[in-house]
Amino acid sequence: MIRWLRLAGLLAAMMATPSIAAPLPPLPTFTPAYEPTGVDERGMWMEADEAERQMRDSALVMRDPALNAYVRSVLCRTVGDDRCRSVRIYIQHLPYFNATMYPNGMMTVWSGLLLRVRDEAELAAVLGHEFAHFEKRHTLDGFKRARGAGDLLMWTSMVSPTVYSAMAVSTIGSLFAFSRAQEQEADLLGLAYLTASPYPAASAANIWDRIMAEEDATAAGRKRKSTARRYSAGFFASHPTDVVRATYLRETALKTNDPGDPAAVAFRTALAPWMPTFLADQIKLNDFGGSDYLLGQLATDGWTPDLLYARAELYRLRGNPRDLMSAAQLYREAIDKGLADPEAERGMGLALLRSQQPEPGKAALRRYLERKPGAQDATMIATLIAQ
Amino acid sequence: MRGFLRNTIGVLSSVALMGAALPASAQEKTGNKPGFTLAPGSARIVLMRPSIKVGEQSTGGLFEPNADWTAQSRDNLNHAIAAMQGQLGNSVFDIVEPAGADAAALAEYQALFATIADSVIVYQFFPGNRLPTKKRKGQFSWTMGSGVASLPGLAGADYALFVTTEDQFGSTGRKVAQVFAALAFGVSVPTGVHKGFAGLVDVKTGDLVWLNADLQMGGDVRTDEGAQKRVTQLFEGFPGRPVVLAAAPAGAGK
Repeated sequence: MIRWLRLAGLLAAMMATPSIAAPLPPLPTFTPAYEPTGVDERGMWMEADEAERQMRDSALVMRDPALNAYVRSVLCRTVGDDRCRSVRIYIQHLPYFNATMYPNGMMTVWSGLLLRVRDEAELAAVLGHEFAHFEKRHTLDGFKRARGAGDLLMWTSMVSPTVYSAMAVSTIGSLFAFSRAQEQEADLLGLAYLTASPYPAASAANIWDRIMAEEDATAAGRKRKSTARRYSAGFFASHPTDVVRATYLRETALKTNDPGDPAAVAFRTALAPWMPTFLADQIKLNDFGGSDYLLGQLATDGWTPDLLYARAELYRLRGNPRDLMSAAQLYREAIDKGLADPEAERGMGLALLRSQQPEPGKAALRRYLERKPGAQDATMIATLIAQ
Repeated sequence: MRGFLRNTIGVLSSVALMGAALPASAQEKTGNKPGFTLAPGSARIVLMRPSIKVGEQSTGGLFEPNADWTAQSRDNLNHAIAAMQGQLGNSVFDIVEPAGADAAALAEYQALFATIADSVIVYQFFPGNRLPTKKRKGQFSWTMGSGVASLPGLAGADYALFVTTEDQFGSTGRKVAQVFAALAFGVSVPTGVHKGFAGLVDVKTGDLVWLNADLQMGGDVRTDEGAQKRVTQLFEGFPGRPVVLAAAPAGAGK
């Protein structure tokens, strides 16, 4: 009976449109060392525990103690030391903008996220959102919803094909609407953590402005129409659209009037050792428009040798004659600004060779081999020099 | 899993699960590398950590994991396997799980084994599905590569044994729906999933020398007797077993 009531409730809850100016939720009462209760929740945790066993041993996880300690310290400053103790963070080497949360307290942070946020406050906004999923036990509720919808459709399919065909679309749609509502709840609770933390609440919306601009740039680079600035979510969308998220995050943050230090310098310092790696990952995504936009954003405070080198690689890999000229120039600037990596000489040499400047090109390649005689491609480069 | 931007496993999976799985009727269950024999008492076999998943199947077909059943079944199956070990004709040891970088290497090979076993089941055990390279009669040619030999935890071992089971017991609602659909429309609603496989890998070459897979297994793994029956079925056709025991009660049905 209770289940039937819940199924009926499903129909009523369909397609509730989130309002824009949302009130900031109060922080839930914290339960230390929370243990799952009930068959469903304990089942969810068991599956998450198995997934975590695999995550723990995954080759994709970045184990660097300093980086891990740093990301963890940002989470702890955001949600407080008590809450932060219930979470294990795994930094995954994946060059995309995302982070995930499992019901048992396993959190993943993707390396592409670390490349895109520009201060601790923005990272804190994402980590707070993920932690909100955990504290509000969203996976469990989503699972119950999905099961209820499946059961409902199973019975209606047998009772009446007419009713079934009328209900199937709206029932499935309601699952995604429910997921979007959960995401909004996590956004707002994440914002509440951010407000309670030393970081400014306004940072949460800033991420989305740049993510949308990057999507626009990616689409432009691929000669496609950008879908980044849609206002209404698609039928199968698990999250509200970026515009909607940016809007309610900004409006709610404005009301809280929560100043603070976003800790941009500390963030750049902590991530500096990883920038060459993350930039190289990004360049390999074959996303000229998006990568060029992202590099421009990262260079707001000036072009560092690492950024210049990454941009040179980006242009050389696209490889139009004009790109090769730009690339050679960018390599030159990176070297002049003190880039230590001899790979810049290699890139410059290859770009010049293909730009009808064989002698300067060979000279650069010679310098590359002098500085890196044991390079993997030493033989091939030597052949190019000898031509 | 909840993502910041996207959920990689969406709510859609629950809807997709309502569909039917591969037809289990036309399936072959056991594959042996041709010419492979395992003389009793000649080999040291390491048992990898079994993958065990037990839960319920909702009316709509969604898997509902059950932590108690899974823990109980893991105990039962471990006991049943330990009891079976004496009858396999060779010495079987549990793997000592490594830590750190070693664990990562081992995890990759466990994932690789699961992928290969799935491929064998889909592309070899279903004759209509067989890949052109797997069509010659009596052929069983699958390998994980020679890298297996250098895996931590397998030093000194001759063979690695992998065991996987998954049980989704039909919920009451699912069973009622099954009966109702059959009576009212003559439509068959499959209820419950009970599948498992066991495989033996030659550590020196990485070759898969034996695989037994069954998508409709018997034995309720939540009970001692059921787990024994399941393990008996899992080890049907295990190479090198003493002849007497090969005729042990092979379960049919559930």
